[in-house]
Amino acid sequence: MTELMLRNGTVFDPLNRVRGEKMDLAIRDGRIVETASSKAKVIDASGMIVMPGGVDIHSHIAGSKVNSGRILRPEDHEKDVEGRTSITRAGVGYSIPSTFTTGYRYARMGYTTVFEPATPPLKTRHTHEELDQIPIIDKACFPLFGNNWFVMEYIREGRLDECTAYIAWMLNATKGYAIKIVDPGGVEAWGWGRYLKRLDDEVPHFAITPREILRGLCKVNKLLGMPHAIHVHTNNLGNPGNYLTTIETMDCVSDLASGGKPIIHITHVQFCGFTGNSWLNVGSGAPEIAEYVNKHDHVTLDPGQVIFGDTTTMTADGPFQFLLHKLSGNKWVNVDVEGETGAGIVPFHYKRSNYVNAVQWGIGLELMLLVKDPWKIYLTTDHPNAGPFTSYPKVVTWLMSNVARGRVLARINKNARRRLDLPGIDREYSFEEIAIVTRAGTAKSLGLRRKGHLGVGADADVAVYNINVSSIDPSRDYEIVRKALANAAYTIKNGEIVVKEGEVVATPTGTTYWVDPKVSNDLMQQTTASLSAKFEEYYTVRMANYPVEESYLESSTRIEAHAEV
Amino acid sequence: MKEIILTVKKTLSVPVECSEISPNSLAGKTLEQIRAMKVWEGNRSTRLEEIFYVKEQGGNASEGLTVRIVGDASGIRKIGHRMAEGSMVIEGNAGMYLGEEMSAGSITLSGNAGAWLGSKMKGGTIEVNGNAGDFVGSSYRGSRKGMKGGTIIIHGDAGTEIGCWMRNGTIRIKGGTGMFPGMHMSNGTIYIEKDCSGRTGAQMTGGRIVIGGHVPAILPSFNIEEVRERVKVGEEKITGPFYVFTGDLNEDGNGKLFINVTKNSHLKWCEEYLEL
Amino acid sequence: MAEKTIQDVVCTFCGCCCDNLEVKIKDERILGVRNSCAISMSKFLNYDRERLSAPVQRKNGSFEEMKFEDAVEKTASILANAKYPILYGWSLTSCEAIEIGVELAELVGGVIDNTTTTCHGPSILGVHDIGESTCTLGEVRHRADLVVYWGCNPVHAHPLHMLRYSVQSKGRFRKGRKDRKLIVVDVRKTDTAKQADYFIQVAPNQDYELLSALRTAVKMGEIEQNSIAGVPVEKVEEIADLMINCEFGIIFYGLGLTMSTGKSRNIDAALSLVRELNNRTKFLIMPMRGHFNVTGANQVTAWQTGYPFAVDFSKGYPRYNPGDTSAVDILARGECDAALVVASDPISNFPVVASRHLSRVPLVTIDPHFTPTTLASDIVIPSSFVGIETGGTVYRMDGVPLLTRKLVEPPKGVRSDEEILSAILRRTRELKGVA
Repeated sequence: MTELMLRNGTVFDPLNRVRGEKMDLAIRDGRIVETASSKAKVIDASGMIVMPGGVDIHSHIAGSKVNSGRILRPEDHEKDVEGRTSITRAGVGYSIPSTFTTGYRYARMGYTTVFEPATPPLKTRHTHEELDQIPIIDKACFPLFGNNWFVMEYIREGRLDECTAYIAWMLNATKGYAIKIVDPGGVEAWGWGRYLKRLDDEVPHFAITPREILRGLCKVNKLLGMPHAIHVHTNNLGNPGNYLTTIETMDCVSDLASGGKPIIHITHVQFCGFTGNSWLNVGSGAPEIAEYVNKHDHVTLDPGQVIFGDTTTMTADGPFQFLLHKLSGNKWVNVDVEGETGAGIVPFHYKRSNYVNAVQWGIGLELMLLVKDPWKIYLTTDHPNAGPFTSYPKVVTWLMSNVARGRVLARINKNARRRLDLPGIDREYSFEEIAIVTRAGTAKSLGLRRKGHLGVGADADVAVYNINVSSIDPSRDYEIVRKALANAAYTIKNGEIVVKEGEVVATPTGTTYWVDPKVSNDLMQQTTASLSAKFEEYYTVRMANYPVEESYLESSTRIEAHAEV
Repeated sequence: MKEIILTVKKTLSVPVECSEISPNSLAGKTLEQIRAMKVWEGNRSTRLEEIFYVKEQGGNASEGLTVRIVGDASGIRKIGHRMAEGSMVIEGNAGMYLGEEMSAGSITLSGNAGAWLGSKMKGGTIEVNGNAGDFVGSSYRGSRKGMKGGTIIIHGDAGTEIGCWMRNGTIRIKGGTGMFPGMHMSNGTIYIEKDCSGRTGAQMTGGRIVIGGHVPAILPSFNIEEVRERVKVGEEKITGPFYVFTGDLNEDGNGKLFINVTKNSHLKWCEEYLEL
Repeated sequence: MAEKTIQDVVCTFCGCCCDNLEVKIKDERILGVRNSCAISMSKFLNYDRERLSAPVQRKNGSFEEMKFEDAVEKTASILANAKYPILYGWSLTSCEAIEIGVELAELVGGVIDNTTTTCHGPSILGVHDIGESTCTLGEVRHRADLVVYWGCNPVHAHPLHMLRYSVQSKGRFRKGRKDRKLIVVDVRKTDTAKQADYFIQVAPNQDYELLSALRTAVKMGEIEQNSIAGVPVEKVEEIADLMINCEFGIIFYGLGLTMSTGKSRNIDAALSLVRELNNRTKFLIMPMRGHFNVTGANQVTAWQTGYPFAVDFSKGYPRYNPGDTSAVDILARGECDAALVVASDPISNFPVVASRHLSRVPLVTIDPHFTPTTLASDIVIPSSFVGIETGGTVYRMDGVPLLTRKLVEPPKGVRSDEEILSAILRRTRELKGVA
């Protein structure tokens, strides 16, 4: 079939320990192969960087709350439109792009895999409808479990085996990829308009605590043999002093770790990395959190880096979103989902001149720079919460260039600048480290064996950037780096050239990954029988109508996991 | 004073839009360049000369440019979009979005204006001799950025939600308006000389609305503050007396409504709350 | 063939999308339905009456049968050559069909709009400014101890709503009717109002004032009027107290609010009231969507274009401004030059001036049976019923997606909207010279 030969690019493939070597890359039938025939189309990648296609571990791109956000904000779309071309569909962008635009804009940056990190199981058919209409990229979604009635009851009653089977059933029913936990127990409390602050607060009517939910699901995750750790948005998000909650959350499962493998991923840590006890004295908890992460191997994290400007916050953390609405005075959407979770959406504008926003900006970068091992931390903006994903190239320049950082620092609120450690940090990321935090590390964290690297057998998802490492110093020439990362010279997806010089030239459909853990038949039978008895008590839909069929997905890639039960 | 004259050639059955008909946009362009400018006729991109005859007259462009439109332009949208200098004279009607995002200069319209007149305006003057539609000086859907400056004067009547999300500037209607003038307004002045169909100042947080004529009622979220003899609109002192209401209390607002006392005898009940 | 009963059938009538229907079928005919309301049953038992059986075109004042391929050809030609076509309807078909509709509108540089524009458009306009505190229907069933129906009459329009989701349902924390209080606000005592614990008769077209006063009362403000919208101020304060003191309240509302004077600002006021109540207790709001997939039409259109209805593609990119880009207004101004209507009957419910213009332009309608719109059309293409003769995804009024299934075969020669639109899209692309 189609053969491609990328000649003479400077390859960064950290998973295979390739660190900026000039190499040829051969592609055939959508995979990296040893050699290509003379019939291969040749791409001259001389003077350019070659990396695996970007793998985004956490970006809100599809599903019920994303779409509610689109409907909420016509004014967000009005200023950023994309006209129809002979190859691409029309759409709108900015902080909540339409589906087609989302795929195109990721591809233009050399990204080829993006994971939607929070889907309410009852509405996950919606998430898949949207994912199917995001062109080019491969994708997956994480169903939410941290406030699920069945889960809380199983854990409270010590029925972990059945909980394991239940989650296996749910992953199959939602075609989901990982266990996502948002504000465990807190969103159920919000079902009554109430709040939980601490890991040991009891969830009203459920006699269980966030700590118990986290530990229970962490154990279940291991029993299921899941490729990714539990993916956690902590309790107490957005409150001064909450860096302690983050450390407590990381620590509350540390005894469950084994073999140095991460068992918990804390996401958008910037939002839960505040010191202080009021908005007047909020500071960065990044040094403390980084210290913990540097000493422990069972945790990974992503910062949720703030980008100054207008954006839209949207999470499953209903209570937090209401508080943000009160703080900002901006319009507010809330959607509670029966028996499962919630969601909230509030537009937000991060200002350089605002003390708190400036501190927030600093926290994300401090995390990225103070965590020593780049395999433990991944580049995100929690799109669109801290900023649109199209800002990733800008974040890269802040990581690679002290000067670029310094220019922003010079213009932020000066009290914030004084409060942060960031001005004194001069670490600069290398291209290899960038490749780790944007593709190699994320693919490894997700357990995607054929992504994030360019070894033989890998999916031929490749990004070629017009950056000549011998003549470019990223610390000084950060504008060149930014432009090159924003407009890939080539993006190749499954061996097909989809972007050339920042323009989309082809729009194949990617595949949807999901994990199907296999528990023992007896256990599954027992669990589905008891589930069936209670299903219509908890839900307003019939159990038969709840699961998403595999055939519903445009393209499905099932990943089997072998459960221990 | 140089003048460019655009005469409407035909009645159009589909929407026509040209967002570059303004003195700043046409300045420095030759007639041929103007004729070749892009205009949308429904989904067809066409040349301006398909819609307008283009002539010029008069003298020196350095003394300022006037763009004159002759004929019925009621189907033509976005005339005067982002106008930043000079003057426009429209002898006839104009379509939606006339003077949208205008920042300076003056537009005079002899006929009627469509909806969204002066939407998101920042400065300059628009004067309409006929009537205007809904959403004069408003923001775009979902946005709080309504008119921020400038003056809009309408000699006839205007529609509903004029000054919606208005942030500053002046709207003066010599006739009457429909409902919800000053909806969500945060600042600026609206003066309606005749009657208003009601719900004046709904959900406003600031600014002033003066009604010279009849309103059917005052919203329950407004409280009477005082009776004033006069109120100043721009340089002019408008004679009342006026009931002055504060609100919208539902938004913790401190906008002010000045309602003509003599034209609104049915509002006399509010006087019992005056000393409270 | 033996008789069979199909379980867990999703009803495709109203926005309740009840999914526990049992349908008895024999020889491709529906014999009976269980667990449905009367209207749903009537649809299931009578859907095959007055069906169109073949595509027809208008010739010399009457309709002549035509081949499907010719109907596709002519429709594609009409749309491809139009300068400002409208593609309207969509609320009574599946998401899969709507997706094709959006692509077709984009391809021909036209406007795609759905029945939201005459129904809950004001609700969406209100959301743009205020947002919305809402939930899925199960939350109401489990937690709500105060339910308000405002300007809607579920006993007649959403017959199983109260039993499945609100005051008569069995929830985890509320077991029955006595665990809930029901408030009904309407201009007259409807059958729903007769079941209320509190009935508030609001003066016609003064809902905005009443909502405003309730919000003032909730904020503990001074109302300087004795009566608002025909309701004594003491009553207003009583209702506000009920709302503040409940544990979980919800307002369901309908066309009584969206279509009375004030329209989107009535909704603005209701959304703002609910938002205010969240400072005191848990309170939510939900529009009672009429058609079974109008929510789906909004969802599909929004994720593909950014906007939920009234989307104009004439300049190659999506543009949205109801009042400008909405079907009724475009037609009322006489600005459209061709139209495709799918699964809808606008001639019956649009203002006369809009209907008149619609009947004058080249009009193609895709519908399962005769309607006034089909009678005014130039070409009519018969289609099958979603949820009965073809499957597809639909969205319940609270945004929960459900997959409907094919239960029986459609009449011979009748295709699904998806098939018909795919064929039209294919041919239109050829005419436009696109791959």
